[in-house]
Amino acid sequence: MATSAELPDLRTEYPSRPPEQPTTFLSLLPGIALLAIVGYAGKFVEHFLNTYTKAHHITFPNIEYVLWAILFGALIANTIGLARIFSPGVATYEFWLKAGIILLGARFILGDILKLGGISLILVFIALALSITFMTWLGRAFNLNPKLTTLLAVGSSVCGVSAIIATQGAIDADEEDSSTAIAAILALGAISLFAFPLIGRALHMSDHAYGLWAGLAVDNTAEATAAGALFSDAAGKFAVLAKTCRNALIGFVVLAYAIQWARKGLANKATTAQLENKAAFLWKKFPKFVLGFLFISLLATLGSSTNPTIAALGFTKPQLVALGNLSRWAFLLTFAGVGLRTNLKDLFKQGARPFIVGALGEIVIAAITLALVLGADHIYRL
Amino acid sequence: MASNRLRLSTDTWAILLSLTLALIIRIGLIKTLAW
Repeated sequence: MATSAELPDLRTEYPSRPPEQPTTFLSLLPGIALLAIVGYAGKFVEHFLNTYTKAHHITFPNIEYVLWAILFGALIANTIGLARIFSPGVATYEFWLKAGIILLGARFILGDILKLGGISLILVFIALALSITFMTWLGRAFNLNPKLTTLLAVGSSVCGVSAIIATQGAIDADEEDSSTAIAAILALGAISLFAFPLIGRALHMSDHAYGLWAGLAVDNTAEATAAGALFSDAAGKFAVLAKTCRNALIGFVVLAYAIQWARKGLANKATTAQLENKAAFLWKKFPKFVLGFLFISLLATLGSSTNPTIAALGFTKPQLVALGNLSRWAFLLTFAGVGLRTNLKDLFKQGARPFIVGALGEIVIAAITLALVLGADHIYRL
Repeated sequence: MASNRLRLSTDTWAILLSLTLALIIRIGLIKTLAW
């Protein structure tokens, strides 16, 4: 990790590796192959267990490949460890996540996106306001420093690691605060992977409602996608949509914090200069892969038109199935990556207070978003 | 995901790959893809 003095301001990308280590295509291959092997092992075990238990009339719950892939990945990372040769390729799991989301556009028509996206956006605004207020209060109550509190609030209310990294530059926070906040968010994300599907099943939630809840409450996009897919394939789809809406708002939240810190005279020169053009600031923070998702969805919508001329511009049904399957393969690599980058030692060495603040915040945010989703489900029949 | 010559963001690479795959499927080079 670079020191804070070396960090560029207002980074929009996830941290992968320092720029002084150039990545070649060949160096990515071992890690990508490992992602594929771990992911496919998860899929194989799910299929094998289902076939075996059915053939022998054994009652056994269907455990999705997602959980197996994450468990196998975490097992490798925390026992034999990840050899350096695999690191560049394993770091591409964020890339596969984004590619998977873009291709998932094939499974939505624009009308669905507008309806569910609209509901998600309203819920995101409410949840965002409540959770930032609560996390800020909690940070003060536990006497955490204001910058760490801000990073935890943004990480748990907007979108995890990418929001923390973006805000770190804007408020000029220390690398240590940022690492602590990231570790807390990742630890809580790992816990939510197990807790959310259990709660969703206990409450007999529908795929729509559960997916929306996972997308609104789980912090990191990869974990939110996995938490959704652990419930069902359809829930995974809706979790991604809700999470994408949340991601799209990252720029506004970072901008608000940057303005607040600049007013206090605490923002650095680069941030203050960038605040002069707020539209450019927002565009820089906007997750561009969302545009790819919308474009694929547009072509899916055109293909479903009853007008043959318009339908010819879009995808046919078999093509949509093929694209949906490609999206699932990309997510398979992502879930393997989630497991492989889970380092239990790192998760527990951060100290108790930030973790407790994060955990309390997450529980309250999960409860708030659950209430919001159940309310919306009641009104809109999700 | 930046190479030495082409310094594109992860988002750009993801869009490029996805749209390329979508185009390949659209023109019929890949008909179906099993999951």
